[in-house]
Amino acid sequence: MAKIIVNGLVSGGVYAVLAVGFSLVFGVARILNMAHTAFYMIAAFFIFVCTVMSGFPLLLSVALAIFLVSVVGILCHKLFFDRIKEHTIPVMLVSVGLAILFQELLVMGFGGTYRAIPPLVAGFVEIAGVRVPWQHLLALGTSIVILIGLWLLLSKSRLGKAIRAVANDREIANVMGIDVGWVCTITVGISAGLAAIAGAIVAPIVMVHPLMWMQPLVITLAAVVLGGLGSIRGSVIGAFILGFAETATVFLMPMGSFLKGAVALGIMIVVLLLRPDGLFGVIFEEERL
Amino acid sequence: MNEYFRWWYQWFRDTVLVIPGRVIAFIFFAFLFLVPLVTTHPTLLRILILAAIFAIYAASWDVLAGFTGQLNLGHALFFGVGAYTAGLLNLHFDLPPWVTIPLAGACAVVVGMIAGMPALRLRGFYLALVTLAFPIILTGVIFAFPDFSGGELGLYGISHLSDCRTSDYYIIVLIMVCSVVVMYKFTDARSRSIRTGVMLHAVREDEIAARASGVDTTRYKILAFAVSGFFGGIAGGIYAHFMRVVGPSTLDIFFSFQAIIWTVFGGIATIYGPVAGVYILYPLTELLGTDAFGQQIRFAVLALLMIFILLFMPDGIAVWIRDKIEVKCPRCKLVNVATRQYCRACRAPLYLEKTKSTGKKEEGENETEIHL
Amino acid sequence: MKSKILSLLLLCVLVVTSVIVGCAPEAPEARPTIKIGVLGALDFESGKHFGYGAKMAVDEINAAGGVLVNGVRYDMEAVIVDSNEMLSVADAVAAAENLITLDKVNCIVGCLRSEAVLGIQDVAADYKTIYLSSSSAPEQSMRVAKDYDRYKYWFRVGTVHSGNAGKIIFGGADLVANAVRRDLGIDTPKVAVVLEKLTWTEPMIPAAQGLLPKLGMEIVGIWQPSATASDVTAELSDIKDSGAHMIMRVVSGPITSVLDKQWGELQIPAALCGFNLEGTSYGFWENTMGKCNYAELTSVNADVKASDITLPFYDNFVERYGELPLLGATMAYDSPYILKAAIERADTLDSDALVIEIEKTDQPISNAPRCTFDPLGSELPHEMTFGPGYMTGYSMQWQDGKLMCVWPDGRPFLGDKKWEGLRYEGTVDYKLPPWMVEYWKSK
Repeated sequence: MAKIIVNGLVSGGVYAVLAVGFSLVFGVARILNMAHTAFYMIAAFFIFVCTVMSGFPLLLSVALAIFLVSVVGILCHKLFFDRIKEHTIPVMLVSVGLAILFQELLVMGFGGTYRAIPPLVAGFVEIAGVRVPWQHLLALGTSIVILIGLWLLLSKSRLGKAIRAVANDREIANVMGIDVGWVCTITVGISAGLAAIAGAIVAPIVMVHPLMWMQPLVITLAAVVLGGLGSIRGSVIGAFILGFAETATVFLMPMGSFLKGAVALGIMIVVLLLRPDGLFGVIFEEERL
Repeated sequence: MNEYFRWWYQWFRDTVLVIPGRVIAFIFFAFLFLVPLVTTHPTLLRILILAAIFAIYAASWDVLAGFTGQLNLGHALFFGVGAYTAGLLNLHFDLPPWVTIPLAGACAVVVGMIAGMPALRLRGFYLALVTLAFPIILTGVIFAFPDFSGGELGLYGISHLSDCRTSDYYIIVLIMVCSVVVMYKFTDARSRSIRTGVMLHAVREDEIAARASGVDTTRYKILAFAVSGFFGGIAGGIYAHFMRVVGPSTLDIFFSFQAIIWTVFGGIATIYGPVAGVYILYPLTELLGTDAFGQQIRFAVLALLMIFILLFMPDGIAVWIRDKIEVKCPRCKLVNVATRQYCRACRAPLYLEKTKSTGKKEEGENETEIHL
Repeated sequence: MKSKILSLLLLCVLVVTSVIVGCAPEAPEARPTIKIGVLGALDFESGKHFGYGAKMAVDEINAAGGVLVNGVRYDMEAVIVDSNEMLSVADAVAAAENLITLDKVNCIVGCLRSEAVLGIQDVAADYKTIYLSSSSAPEQSMRVAKDYDRYKYWFRVGTVHSGNAGKIIFGGADLVANAVRRDLGIDTPKVAVVLEKLTWTEPMIPAAQGLLPKLGMEIVGIWQPSATASDVTAELSDIKDSGAHMIMRVVSGPITSVLDKQWGELQIPAALCGFNLEGTSYGFWENTMGKCNYAELTSVNADVKASDITLPFYDNFVERYGELPLLGATMAYDSPYILKAAIERADTLDSDALVIEIEKTDQPISNAPRCTFDPLGSELPHEMTFGPGYMTGYSMQWQDGKLMCVWPDGRPFLGDKKWEGLRYEGTVDYKLPPWMVEYWKSK
């Protein structure tokens, strides 16, 4: 039981950081950014290049990665998403195209083999009889810190208020004098930064390779949908639910642990059957009749 | 006999030649049928055959997404189910291809219905993301029953469609032409004989208004889903008999995205769009694959092309070309060649800016002249 | 409007360049050449090695005078093409077909993924082209038994007989169990079996349940993570709790580095043994950050004196490419030599005649003292014969950054006394991981 809790918390935490970033961009800028986990992958590769190939200290590489990926995210937004932001489906497809483009560029540069990044903290600790690597605890800790930080940002700061206002009702926010374009850009930057942080904390745990964006994307989408599109709280809860579901599958069905992805998605479908708008789904102002 | 030929010639002149889009379609089909007479190089035929299969696949995606607005991110489900059904029926029951392929289509529809039932309650993005989940779940099921499905090895040793590649080619191209025409007729809003096209457009444009007008939108959505699934399954069945090997790669997420990439490139909400998209993009990627450097940049080029099209020609390349060569008459809505000045049916001026200066005289001219 | 014209122009430029790139004409040939098409997933290390091995062999053969056919000297040429088999089986099959129809190769060598090999077997059968492949699925050789005339053009080179591949994995477990008995005094070591959830590992379950108890081991559980799992700490925790002394893992997908690395990081007190496809390269040591130390795994090559060709091959390969040869390298190195011998015996390039000569192959290769193929009539024809003195594979263990060969070690193999004394020069003794010894001794 303890194993499920500990491991479930860790995976849930990581998924939560990714899901929140995705949900933020969707809620504010109405962009279904399928390249979100591609940013996560770019951050991981950047850290690989800095630490393993060039020998920079890990913390510096992580900071640089977060900064770089945020800039990349904002550039993508300005160059690609902003031009066609009226049509939501083409925006989503462009983001898919960008993700594939990043993947192919990384394949060209690094090949398809799997790489490893050294952990920030090596070794492990025993909790309740379970051996947990320090890096996993760091991942969990960082997720919690980030989530709390984000909550503080959104609820207490002026920028946070502006973000929430734009997410709630874009037109009225514009009328009220909030620079909607600027808020969207900042949000994209924050979202990409969150993806980069997720990449930095998870990359030492998983292997780094050009296809690593697909599987987390599916789980991120599932978490966001499960929690309800447009609700940040929902995404976090959805991410933890799926993290626990996956971990439980591994422990309760050792011969079926390959099914953990399918089980997580199955849970998402079941919840949607009962609540078609997700757990905490928000109705957008365009859809209000 | 003469009468017969004259009838065909008149049909050709009056129906096909008048609209440049139809001329292009005609030339394209003619080209497809004539290629094997010029060369039977196996690689070329293989590329064209796979392009035909993927054309059916992409067009079937367009039926659902383009016309009812239901974005299906897991279209590979139909393809994979069709492929596995055809393969299993062929391997275990020795059924010939002309039986397995329609059954593959039917099975895909059934699976689609089971998957689609919960999806009917969902709106927009929720629907899209749920559709993404289905092929992944099915892949998990396939791995869970490896004795039945072959696991990661898949099914192999499926029988040929026919004895040689050239006859394979003709059969498949024929099926493609028929399927595409059926799908086009089914979704064409201008068709007088089959009214489903208009209904589907109505559902996509404004479902609530359509429902208020008495259209049973649920029925049409299910119908579109069924047609989409059927042809997706047919494409999968043909694929199984052509490749003779079927694996979990037929359910790949990326393959679902391919259908979307091809369709969006060609032009969404038209059936000729996905066909054009496939026939332009697929041979391109294969051609690039024959060269060592090209192999590396293949998918990057594909992704770049898609991004460019979406940014600058979001309606798709076929539609962009169509808008350059065809124009709709503002009065009677009939399609004309863009080079004409006056509509071929009602003689209304097609370009308002050009006739502004001549004013009254034009009006008088229009009212006195009556044409066929 | 301008941007639309511009983008259409750009589109045309992209399309035209692609067409030009694709249709680039090839350079004209100088001497008559025997073309060998080499297929490997060039995006991955394992795939690149097919190219490396083939190139080395072809260069050596040409330098030594080429191949003599009917009084004419032929050069050999390796046409190396990306099969992309890891991502798309259809691509691999298409690549094979292109090699035959466009590049006009005389034979095809390579490919690792079983699905791809099955597909290419059909292509080779259709075009009656010799195909020498890697991979390890009995389905491939069963086809030769069932339909000899169609599939006779295929042979498996460089990999252990697929019917016996499982046995050497268990042999590795036996080796480790012996060490556990010897060093820790535990009569019946407990084994946790970890198999990636793929079709090819399914037969291992009944095999393990039958064989391991006979060898004096007790199975405490069977875990089947996904082959693409990126995190197995959950499974490893579970295994530690089960009290296992050994972990027998059989993995080939992306999970390979993850499993060994996390095992080492968490210092799970169980000896790791079994099969790990990626485990025999320097890159693996780097990728696991050295945490795979003391992991045991089976391999098809080792730098021990199995035959006179082995050590020179290893030295040349490491000097030329800076890496340890993987499975593809030895296979692609031996194939041109096998072909050369068969062509010179048959004195023709005709495929049907060559098949008969290849079946008569009996020569030393880079990873075994003797290579012969099981003939028609055996259960799995056209596989490499298995037994002491033939292709047996090896067990390797990572010892402080060096990959050392620990088996064949001279003991009877799974109780079979015929193997006694089989030990190649350069083999060392297997060592248990020190943290594991500490853990169990302190209990």
